[in-house]
Parts: sequence; C-alpha cells; structure tokens
Amino acid sequence: MTVLTPTSPSPSPPKSSPPTWLRYFSFCTDAKVIGIQYVVLSFVFFLIGGFLAMVMRGELLTPAADLVDRTVYNGLYTMHGTIMLFLFTFPVLNGFNNLLIPVMIGAPDMAFPRLNALAFWMFPVFGLVLIASFFVPGGPASAGWWSYPPISVQNPLGHLINGESLWILAVALSGISSILGALNFVTTILRMRAPGMGLFRMPIFCWTALAAQTIQLIGLPALTGGAVMLLLDLTVGTTFYDPTGGGDPVLYQHFFWFYSHPAVYVIILPVFGIFSELFPVYARKPLFGYPFVAIASFVIVGLGLIVWVHHMFPSGVSQWMRDLFMVTTMLIAVPTGVKVFAWLGTLWGGKLKLTTPMLFALGGLINFVFAGITGIMLATVPIDIHVNNTYFVVGHFHYVIYGAAVMGIFAAIYHWFPKFTGRMPYEGLGKLHCLLTFVGANLNFLPMHPLGLMGMPRRVSSYDPEFAFWNVLASLGAFLLGVSIIPFLLNMVSSVVRGEPAGANPWRAIGLEWLLPSPPPIENFEDHVPTVISAPYGYGTGKPLVEHQGEIELALALLEGRA
Amino acid sequence: MSTSSPLDPSAAPDPAAHGEHGGHPNFTLTGFVIFLLSESVIFLAFFSGYTALKLSATAWLPSGVEGLEWQTPLINSVVLVSSSGTIALAEWFKHRGSLWGFRAFWLLTMAMGAYFLLGQAQEWRSLSFGFTDGTFGGTFYLLTGFHGLHVATGILLMALMLLKSFLPGNYDGGEQGVVATSLFWHFVDVIWILLFLLLYVWR
Amino acid sequence: MIRFVLLSAWIGLLVVASHWMGQEAYRWFPVQASNAAPLVDDLFSLETAIGTFVFLGVLSVLLWVLLFNRAEKYDQEDGPPMEGNTRLEIVWTVIPLVIVMAIAVVSIRVNRELGVLGPMEHVHGGELIEAMDHGPGASAAGSGSLQVDVIARQWSWEFRYPGAQVSATELHLPLDVPVTFKLTSPDVLHGFYVPAFRLKQDVVPGRAIDFSLTPTRSGRYRLRDSQFSGAWFAANQADVVVESPEAFGSWLEAASHQPLQPGLSVAADEAERLARQPAGGIRWATVPPAPPPLVNVPGSNSLPHDA
Ligand code: HEA
Ligand code: HEA
Ligand code: CUA
Ligand SMILES: [Cu+2]
Repeated sequence: MTVLTPTSPSPSPPKSSPPTWLRYFSFCTDAKVIGIQYVVLSFVFFLIGGFLAMVMRGELLTPAADLVDRTVYNGLYTMHGTIMLFLFTFPVLNGFNNLLIPVMIGAPDMAFPRLNALAFWMFPVFGLVLIASFFVPGGPASAGWWSYPPISVQNPLGHLINGESLWILAVALSGISSILGALNFVTTILRMRAPGMGLFRMPIFCWTALAAQTIQLIGLPALTGGAVMLLLDLTVGTTFYDPTGGGDPVLYQHFFWFYSHPAVYVIILPVFGIFSELFPVYARKPLFGYPFVAIASFVIVGLGLIVWVHHMFPSGVSQWMRDLFMVTTMLIAVPTGVKVFAWLGTLWGGKLKLTTPMLFALGGLINFVFAGITGIMLATVPIDIHVNNTYFVVGHFHYVIYGAAVMGIFAAIYHWFPKFTGRMPYEGLGKLHCLLTFVGANLNFLPMHPLGLMGMPRRVSSYDPEFAFWNVLASLGAFLLGVSIIPFLLNMVSSVVRGEPAGANPWRAIGLEWLLPSPPPIENFEDHVPTVISAPYGYGTGKPLVEHQGEIELALALLEGRA
Repeated sequence: MSTSSPLDPSAAPDPAAHGEHGGHPNFTLTGFVIFLLSESVIFLAFFSGYTALKLSATAWLPSGVEGLEWQTPLINSVVLVSSSGTIALAEWFKHRGSLWGFRAFWLLTMAMGAYFLLGQAQEWRSLSFGFTDGTFGGTFYLLTGFHGLHVATGILLMALMLLKSFLPGNYDGGEQGVVATSLFWHFVDVIWILLFLLLYVWR
Repeated sequence: MIRFVLLSAWIGLLVVASHWMGQEAYRWFPVQASNAAPLVDDLFSLETAIGTFVFLGVLSVLLWVLLFNRAEKYDQEDGPPMEGNTRLEIVWTVIPLVIVMAIAVVSIRVNRELGVLGPMEHVHGGELIEAMDHGPGASAAGSGSLQVDVIARQWSWEFRYPGAQVSATELHLPLDVPVTFKLTSPDVLHGFYVPAFRLKQDVVPGRAIDFSLTPTRSGRYRLRDSQFSGAWFAANQADVVVESPEAFGSWLEAASHQPLQPGLSVAADEAERLARQPAGGIRWATVPPAPPPLVNVPGSNSLPHDA
C-alpha cells in the first residue's frame, strides 16, 4: 500500500534520528533547534531579570534606602529593564518565530539558515557582555534603560570599559542580531509559503510576526544610529548630545523613542498573534473577522511609527507637537480595538475549553484591556504631565508586558509545547501557574497606579512614608510572581522528561503545524508540502485546510499507532 | 512502511518556493533588498540628526572655519556617481556573456570607488577641524566616515565577486552576488548624493 | 424583547458603575494646589469613567462566555462557524474612533486652557533661540507676577528670587499669584515636579525653560525631581511652601537679612557620611554630589507635608 505521508521518512537515517541534546549547544541551522535555543536561553535571562526585580521590590518594601546602596538600586533597575526587554522578550519571541513560522507556512526552514544561527549565537554573546558589566569597575550601566545623556555619559571613573559602554555594545549587538533575524523572518514569510497559501490564508501569527519584524527593520537602525553617537560622546569626546559643545540631549530622546516606542508593538503584536491562534482553537470557532485582524496589525505598525513623542511630553517639546502626538497615539486604540472585539466575537457563542493555554490567554486579554486604557490616559497630555515618570507609567507597562505579553508567552508555551517536544505539559501545575501569575501580577502592578497618581516618582530607592502601604502590597505581589515560576519550571522539566506523549494534534487544532508529527521532522514537510485550499481557522465549517487532508491525517494516525 | 512520493502533482512543492532536493531555494536578493532598505534608515537617522543640530545651532561652524571647500569634493562626487554607470555596464557585459568586458568595467568601478576614498582621505587630512570640534565637526566626520565605510565595503564586495568570477561554475547557482553588489553600489551612490547636498550645498 | 430589556438594564448598571468610578477617581490624587489641578483631575475622572465602561464591557462579555459558552467535558463539537460581520466591524471601528477623538478634543482644549492659565513652557536655547510657544499665558505671566530662578543640580534644588536678592533651598510662593520659573541645570536632566500642582517640566541643561503656574492652596508640598539624575535622584526633593502674599512678603523680607549658609542637600550629607564609614556592601561609581548651594534660607525637608 502506498500512503501519502507528510513525513516521508527520509532516505538517510541520521535525519530522522532523535536530536541529541548536544545539538542545542551547537551552531545548528535548523530553525526548530534555534527556536528552542532562543526560548530556553531567554528564560535563563528572565530568571536573572526577575531576580533583580525581587531585590528591587525588597528595597521598596520600606521607605528608606536600606537594603542596597542607592547606586546599586539604580544599576538594578537599569539592568532589570534592559535584560527583560533585550535578553528576554525579544529573544523569546524570536524563538517563537523560529519555531512557528516555518511549520505554519509549510517551509522546511528559514530562508537563510546560517544567518539565522548567526543571529542566535550573537544572543549569548551580548547577553554575556551585559551580564559582565556587573563586574567591571564602577558597576553596570545605571542611567535607566533609556540611557539618556548627559547622565549616561558621565562616566565617573573615566575608564574606557565601563558599564555604560558595555551596555551600548550589548544593545547594538542585540540590534544587529534582531535585524538579521528580521531579514530572515520577513523573507521567509514573503517567499516560502506553502502552495495555495496566499497572504490572506496565512495564520494571524505570521501576519503579526511580519508586522513586528517590519518595525524592527525600520526602527532598529535609528536606535543604532543614536547609540553610535552616544558611544562616541562617551568614549571619544564628541558633543552630539552635550549642550556645552552645541549638542542637544533631547535629540537622543527622539532617536531612542523613535525605535523604543514601536518596540513595544514588536512585543505585543506577536502576542496578539498568539491570542488570535488560541481563541479559535479553544472556542472551536473561526477567528472573527480574520481579514480585519490581519490588516489591523499593519495599521498598528503605521501608527506606532508616528507616536514616539508621547514619551517626551514634559521634555520641552512644543505644544503643537504634544497635541499632534496625543492624537496619533490615541488612534492606536482603534485598530487594537478591532482585534480585541474580534477575539470577543470569536469567543461569543463558542464551545470554550478552559485549558491552561486558554486560561493564560484569557487572563492576558483582561490585563491587556486594562493596560490599554491606562495607555490612553497616558496619551492624554495634561494627565501625562502629572503621571509621567511616576509609578503610574511603571504600572501601565508591567500590565502590558507582564500581564498581557508574558501571559501570552506562557499561553503559547503551553499550547505549542506538545508540538515541539512531543509531550503534554501537566494541566494541574499549569493552572496553578496561571492562577498565581494572574493574582500576583495584579497584586504587584495594580498598586503602582495609585502610587503614581499620588506622585511617587519611578527609579527611586527611597520614598516618602505616605507611599509605604501600596508599596508593601506591590512587593507581596512581586514575591508571589516569583513563586509562580516554580510550578512553571517544575512543569516544563518534568513533562519534557516524562509527560504523556502528545500525538500530532492534541488540541484538535487546524493549521499546517498540526499536520506534522510531534515533534516535527527536521525539514518539516520536506518536499511534500500540502497545498492550502481554504482560509485558516475553519472550525465548524467542515472545510479541509489542505488537499488530501484525510490521507495526511490517516498517515499521522498510523505513524502514531506504530510508535 | 515505505512510502512513495505523492502522485498528485499539486501536492508537489512549488518549484519556485523550493528548489530541487538538497539545494534550498535562494532568496538572497529579496533579503538583500530588505537589508538595504533597513540600512538606509541609519543614514536617515544621521541625516535628521545633522539637520536638527544644524537648525538649532547657535554657532554651527567652529571658530576659524569658514565653510567646506566644495570643488574637489564635487569632482570626487562626479567620479563616484558615474561609477554607478560603469557598474551597470559591467552587468550588461555579464548579461551578454562577455566575462572579460564584465571584469574590465567591474575593475574600473572599483578603481573609481578607490579614487573617491582617496579623495575623501585627502580632504579629511586638509581640514582644520576635528571630530570633537562641536557638533559640526562631529556630524561631518560621522557622516562622511560612515559613508566611506560603505564605499570601502562595496569595493571589498566587488573584489570578492571579481575573484569569484574566475571560479569555474561560479554562476551556475545564479548571479545574486553580482546583482546584490551592484545594488549596494547604487545605494552607496544615492546616499552620497544626498550627503553632498546636505554637507556641501546646504549652507 | 426581554433580552433587550436585560441588556439595557445591564448597560445602565455599567454606566452607573462607571460614573461612580469616575467620581471616586478624584480621591486618588493629592490635594489640588494649583489652577491646573482641577483641570487635570476632571479630565482624569472623565477618562476613568470611560475606561471603566470599556473595561467592564469587555469583562461582561468574557464573563458571559465563561459562564454560558463552556463546552461540556466530552463535547467534541465545534461552535457555529461565524466568520465575521462587516457591519459589526464598522461599528466597533467607528465607536472607539469617536470616543478617543472626543477625548483628544477635550484634552487639546484643556491644554489651551492650561496654557492661558500659566503652565506654558517657553524654551530658550542657550541665550538666543526664542520661544517655541507664545501662548497668551506667556505674556500674561509677564506683569504683576513673581519670577523665580530654579537651578537643579546633582543633587539639590536652589531657588533664587532675583527681585529680592534672596536664595533658598525651600521654595516659598505667594497664594494666588502667578509665578514664572526659569528652569536651568548645570549638569544633567532633572524634572521639576510638584504632584499637588499636577505639573511637571523637565529641566534641560543648555536651555533656560520658562514655566509658569498659579498656586491656589496654602500648605506645604513636595517638589520631586522627576527625571532620573543619578545616584541621589530619589533624595533630590525640596519643600514648596504656599502662603498668603503677606506671609510670603515677610518671609522674603526676613530672608534677605539672613547670611548665606549651606542649603539642604541630602546627597551631600549622605556622601559625606558614606566617605567616613568603612566601605561595606556593594557600592557602584557615581559622580560626587555638588556642594550644597549657599543660600539665605536652607529651610527643611523633614516637616510634615500636605502632599
Ligand atoms: C507591549 C508593550 C506596550 C503596549 C502594547 C503599550 C500600549 C500603549 N501604550 Fe504604553 N508603554 C510601554 C509598553 C507598552 N505600551 C512601555 C514599556 C512604556 C514605558 C517605557 C518607559 O518609560 O520605560 C510605555 C509608556 C507609555 C507612555 C508614556 C508614558 C510616560 O512615560 O509618561 C504612553 C503615553 O502615551 C503610552 C501609551 C500607550 C498606548 C496609548 C497604548 C495603546 O497601544 C493601547 C491600545 C489598547 C487599548 C486602548 C485597549 C483595547 C481597545 C479597546 C477595547 C477599544 C476601545 C477603547 C477605547 C475607546 C479607549 N505608553
Ligand atoms: C519584559 C519586561 C519586564 C518584565 C517581565 C518585568 C517584570 C517585573 N518587573 Fe519590571 N521593568 C521593566 C520591564 C520588565 N519588568 C522595564 C523596561 C523597566 C524600566 C526600567 C527603567 O526604568 O529603566 C522596569 C522597571 C521595574 C520597576 C521600577 C523600578 C524603578 O523605577 O525604580 C519595578 C518595581 O517594582 C519592576 C518590577 C518588576 C517585577 C516585580 C517583575 C516581575 O514580574 C518579575 C517576576 C520574576 C520572576 C517571575 C522570576 C523570579 C525568579 C526568581 C525569584 C528566582 C531567581 C533565581 C535565579 C536568578 C537563579 N520593574
Ligand atoms: Cu531539504 Cu528539500
Ligand atoms: Cu510608547
């Protein structure tokens, strides 16, 4: 009998032999290996960044600067912000891009596999550079993750190698790595889709990845340019940002935010993609208004590039600029609303299955809407003038980043874990993790809003006693978040080792990746890429996604039966 | 269980998306064009920094500096910009199958690039202000230096392509290397035109 | 019909809850001590109400589906294959658009009003570049108002009253009199922020920024550095005393007879103490604090403050 398998066992045995753990430590060009390398390494940095946050919250338990020295506190939050963004969020999302894009569009690998591996291997390098800065004389960079001059170029010890210069080096390397990654992802999505998969048959995750990576390509060079000038000011004595030499410190702020505002959409767009993938699966309904959700991603990109001055309202920008950028910023609520309502429409009247990934996605959605609303408040100039650089802002962005993005990342991990490891994660531990995360995040970050409204500045190691109450609550929430990681780590480690075998499609999901065995073979579909014949998310429509779907599924079932 | 390849032709991979087995399809040009677009943003950032600093400067030129001498740079510019023509010619020869014509004009382009670089170095040496003389000095050297780096890279790439043109079978897999290098060179030239306007023409 | 009534009732309930939340929002702020404060608080209250409505609306839908649209344990069926609805898409594009643009229009109006009332920053690049904004406020501030020069340093605040030849490290302001600050910094960025005034302006080295406001409530308030400025950033605070014009007048008069003395600088004090202490624990490099400015009135920053 001849069976059409999507996995036609390759002629050479080594290809199908299980990957040895050593591959994960090598310059491997397989996107799936690189994806796992990214995800695992980024979580190592997540723990380090989280540990710094724990120390910070310890310091902030009491009004006085007593746990650590003031200079140390400044280094801690600078490195916390930098590590969390550049060594955790971007890399973990690049890990997802590597894991998901090829299997979702039916490509065997990335367009430029060697470039891909190179981009990954820059990650441990700049990670090390950044961590090493803790140990250079004078300590790590301590000017905040914005690194605004003149404070960032003060260089008290006068050494050439100091925390700040290592910080710039690390950020620049991370930028180059991200650009290489973005080239790869964009080219892959544009050129390597399965036959029949037009742009409007592409899973939303790929749309959002494409949108997010477009931002990287446009924004990162600007940041790099600004950082080069900062490095020159710091090391060779140019005066681009130094007012005594005719320079302008505010110019740096424009460079920085021209990238770093859109960067927040680099983070949230793929998370929107994750929500858009998960809700249909666990509500058993098609994504509501798919083309609108797809297009909205690019509307967000376009608007996201023209709002950066909302981080600089009190910096001495003119009133017309404040008004203009307030309007553009508020417009972002519109395409974002389109997405949020599309998810609600997807859930509406569905058949909800409250699995761990679904719970994480729902929690993330709630937190996101809350954070979006505080975002609109921040965009309102008169309000921002009051709360800018207070804990209100810190509350806003941890709600988006931890409450929505990190929860979305966890949702994705629980959802695709079976696909890439071949084993199921434990539901009980997963739900415990979800509960602790949701409660911890809200307890941690909600109190920051009243603090900010009362006028507590951010980046302070000591504060007036009237702020103590909410700070204690926030610290308790933070420690709860610290605890929430324990069930997660336990779950991951134990289910990789002895989780139940997953099968190709444990969630009964629709998508090319679920037509592959778990874990997928090295080159995914190899030469036998199925032809896509309908839109994604055809839950309940009865339409097959690809040609010969029945045969492929049968072959998968046989394969599993044999295993 | 042994399996056969799919009998249905529609299930076969799209040849455009996936070349013959073992050799992956080549998207070098797509990637390279995206790279150039992205790279242009760095220049854009430097240009806008220059413009912003110049517009808000109280004293733009360092004391004692009158302005930039523009005649020699103009000659340099003409040489550089016309090298966009010679590289196009080289490609044309390549297309016609005349490898030697290609090499000749390719080499000529390299020489013109090198001439430009030398001119730039000469100019730098003759200037009375340095990198740290205010924002004018800083941006001037930053812009010309960063562009010069690109010219040098272009020459290096061309040298590489020239060497490779002697390898037998070099063009079997396509000519992306040559096309990409030439694209890069046009890019460097266009940037220079903008730079020239910004630095020498705009007073 | 019954569904329509229930839905309307629910929406009514949300409106009431949102309104209540909007009123509640006033209590989250410190006291209102400047003419800008009521404007900011009103705007925030409005947005809190709108935001509460949006948030509760989304939450209601989620609760509904969680309660009524869960699949039974062994139910493997799919839901109804609704793929979209263009009319709905238009509705939920237009409604948020209208809401946020309405907010923007109101905010721009508040901005104008704030500009007329005072807080309109006015930037001088070094000595020359003229103002970027000439709101009516800028000129109104010219006559019959008080001028105070504010110098932000790493890490102390100095306030100079040029008319009276007085300087202090505690800011005294007469009630209900427009005051114009000239904000300068010799070192790095700082931020002039008095939460009770709801106003904030970065202090940018190399520029002199004019910034005006009118205090409207007597009391003692905190001025906090709001733009990160280095090691002792957190301690770079000062007190603002708003008092009747008479009290202010006599304070100024008394101050002008005081001899110059080192002003308040927590940073300088702490640095000195740390220098005497044997090194313990980790401490990373910092520029040394500037010496405390010599002022007529050091004031105090340990008295209880209103906000
Ligand atoms: C993933 C990250 C992420 C995301 C998605 C966002 C999203 C938004 N952010 Fe946020 N933001 C940050 C991360 C993020 N932000 C970070 C890290 C900072 C601080 C950096 C630092 O200072 O260190 C910051 C700071 C920040 C500021 C600067 C504050 C200051 O420093 O003074 C502002 C000001 O406008 C702002 C606004 C917004 C807005 C309007 C959105 C919008 O995109 C939100 C849109 C979403 C919604 C509105 C909800 C859904 C919509 C509906 C349900 C429709 C109906 C809604 C209405 C009618 C209102 N953000
Ligand atoms: C992805 C981004 C991200 C994430 C996930 C977080 C997560 C957290 N952050 Fe955030 N934070 C930022 C990005 C992020 N942060 C940024 C950009 C800034 C601004 C910096 C600046 O102003 O320049 C900031 C600033 C910031 C501040 C303000 C500091 C200040 O202004 O003075 C605070 C204060 O509470 C804080 C707290 C936390 C907490 C409690 C968490 C928690 O969610 C963390 C939870 C931690 C864990 C779940 C892991 C715990 C691990 C262990 C306990 C084990 C450790 C073991 C080993 C190391 C082996 N952060
Ligand atoms: Cu590998 Cu085809
Ligand atoms: Cu932003």
